[in-house]
Amino acid sequence: MKTKAPLGADLVIPALALGFALYFFISIADLAWEAKANGVLIGALLVFLIAVQLARMARQLARGEGDLRADSLWQPADVTGKRLGMIAVTMAFIAALPWLGLTLALLIAMFAALRIMGVRKRSTLVWLPLAIATAAYAMFIVALDADFPRGPVEQLLGPLFATRT
Amino acid sequence: MTWEFLLDQTAAQLGLWWVIWPAILLGIVIGILPGFSPQNTLIMLLPLTLAVPVEQAFAFMVSLYCANHLSGGIPAILVRIPGSGGAAATTLDGYPMTQKGQAQQALVLSFVASVFGGLITTLATLALLPWLSQIGLYLRSVEMVVVLLFGLTLIAVIAAKDTLKALIAGFFGLLIGVIGTDHIYNAPRATFGFLELYDGVPLVAALIGLFAVSEALVMIEEKMIVSAEGRARAMQTNWADTIDGLRISMRKWWHIVWTSFVGLFIGIVPGAGASIAAFVAYQQSRLWSKHPELYGTGIPEGVIAPEAANNGVTSGTLVPMMALGVPGGTTSAVMMIVLQYHGMVMGPRLFTTNPELAYGVFVAMAVAYVFMIFTILPLARYMARIVLIETTYLAPIIILVTIVAAFSERQYLFDMALALVFGVIGYIAHKTNYHVTAMLIGIILGPLFEQYLVRALRISEGNVAVLFSSTLGNVLWGLLVLSLVLPPWRSYLQRRRTT
Repeated sequence: MKTKAPLGADLVIPALALGFALYFFISIADLAWEAKANGVLIGALLVFLIAVQLARMARQLARGEGDLRADSLWQPADVTGKRLGMIAVTMAFIAALPWLGLTLALLIAMFAALRIMGVRKRSTLVWLPLAIATAAYAMFIVALDADFPRGPVEQLLGPLFATRT
Repeated sequence: MTWEFLLDQTAAQLGLWWVIWPAILLGIVIGILPGFSPQNTLIMLLPLTLAVPVEQAFAFMVSLYCANHLSGGIPAILVRIPGSGGAAATTLDGYPMTQKGQAQQALVLSFVASVFGGLITTLATLALLPWLSQIGLYLRSVEMVVVLLFGLTLIAVIAAKDTLKALIAGFFGLLIGVIGTDHIYNAPRATFGFLELYDGVPLVAALIGLFAVSEALVMIEEKMIVSAEGRARAMQTNWADTIDGLRISMRKWWHIVWTSFVGLFIGIVPGAGASIAAFVAYQQSRLWSKHPELYGTGIPEGVIAPEAANNGVTSGTLVPMMALGVPGGTTSAVMMIVLQYHGMVMGPRLFTTNPELAYGVFVAMAVAYVFMIFTILPLARYMARIVLIETTYLAPIIILVTIVAAFSERQYLFDMALALVFGVIGYIAHKTNYHVTAMLIGIILGPLFEQYLVRALRISEGNVAVLFSSTLGNVLWGLLVLSLVLPPWRSYLQRRRTT
């Protein structure tokens, strides 16, 4: 038996694009033509293409060639936890960066990410985050003096490498 | 300019090997990391380049710049993460080659195309500098609109499986590219109230999200990024694969030559850059190929074209700066600052008042390319082994390191969050076959297209006929129409022949 196409998943990008196009049109409504000509042209073509795609999907649904499932987005299900965990760790990393500083935040995030990915070997859980955090400190803080938020590690090692704290 | 002068210059630049080599190594490292542009690195290293004599400073800067352009293709081939916008087109065929277990060959193809593409165009620039400097004057807004359309048509042909989805992704990208203030009145458009988006969507955050983060979220489904067969091949890699890559490159020498000239001509236009050149070269390579249907499946031409063009740009970017005093891009603007600090006045007079420097820049570039091939080619064998790392380790490293890199372009935490948002959009696009490369083409070329289009319309006071007002522009329009009509016409003829 032929499997039906999961059209629910296929709807996500057009829905996002359509929502954005509508927001775009609202945001440029009061602007001069030079400011909106390009956006209107692109947005109108995008809306047209989405309409064609929706018509195509409706035809597939009517013919019984597809259904509104969206499960292909999170298949295979056994890695969904890992995937969501990675996104959560990244969000937490960005949120904690101003307080913990680059080095410590990266060390903790890397450790957590490896745990989520199923790494259980203690030596790997120690040396890999440590190596990544050390490399980031050496490159971004010591060598390039980039404007990353400074935390306890940067303040502790600052005098040693004459870096900004 | 005499042969004797050129030989003297070459000898002088060879004597600067101690400057060129570290610059190449640094350029390779920052090129591999998405988010690290040569201009940012050169700005950070300004205290160094301002302190040393101008010849050494320039040898350092051009070597770093060229190496950076070369190495952006390495992560594009190995893990489908372009190191820069100019390497985004390389993912289209480079990564499929890796998945087939041909990572080493793909890397060698990329290195050879980059080095010889860069070298040929540098030598051509040296020989034809006075004439090449005029090209920038002929390619104005009207002509650039058509050149950009060449790149944008790639959106339509990029996904042979589902053109409609590719078009939706491409136009979604184009609309995202319009975010930010407009070019005339500085009025904000679709910024969601974020001041950080007033300058437009940061390309690095989009690149990292759409490619690196989304790819990492997808790759955790498998133990390795290569197939079992590919892994077996990758484990047995040896020098023969490097030689095989060299052999393929030699067979495709003409492809390297003509696609690198696409890069040179586009590079000469101020404001145009490696991304446009790489996409246009890929599109043209596919157009004139005898087997366009194989593009995207992992074929050598698909790696050669964008890489040769990407490096053809390097000498082109310097032409308007040296000959006219107009920087062709951000990197050349930084270089110009260094030169002006040392008391050099850019423009036609530089070639008579200081020919050692004016021509020496291009000689330094040629020498850097020669050094580069000997530095990087032996490393291909070892780089290719990255694909043997399990995704359990690779995915967290890619996500966290590239998210950190997203900060580097503008030093905003906002960009890191934006990269994550693009990562989720890219992941959904991956899973539902909406082409992320089409989306990125839109984001890269969209703002440039608007800039040139609005400028042309502004000059003509809104008269659309201005787009067909120049001879060169009309020739380009003709070629564009030809490039759109030719593929379906050829497949029609092929179908007729088979039936």
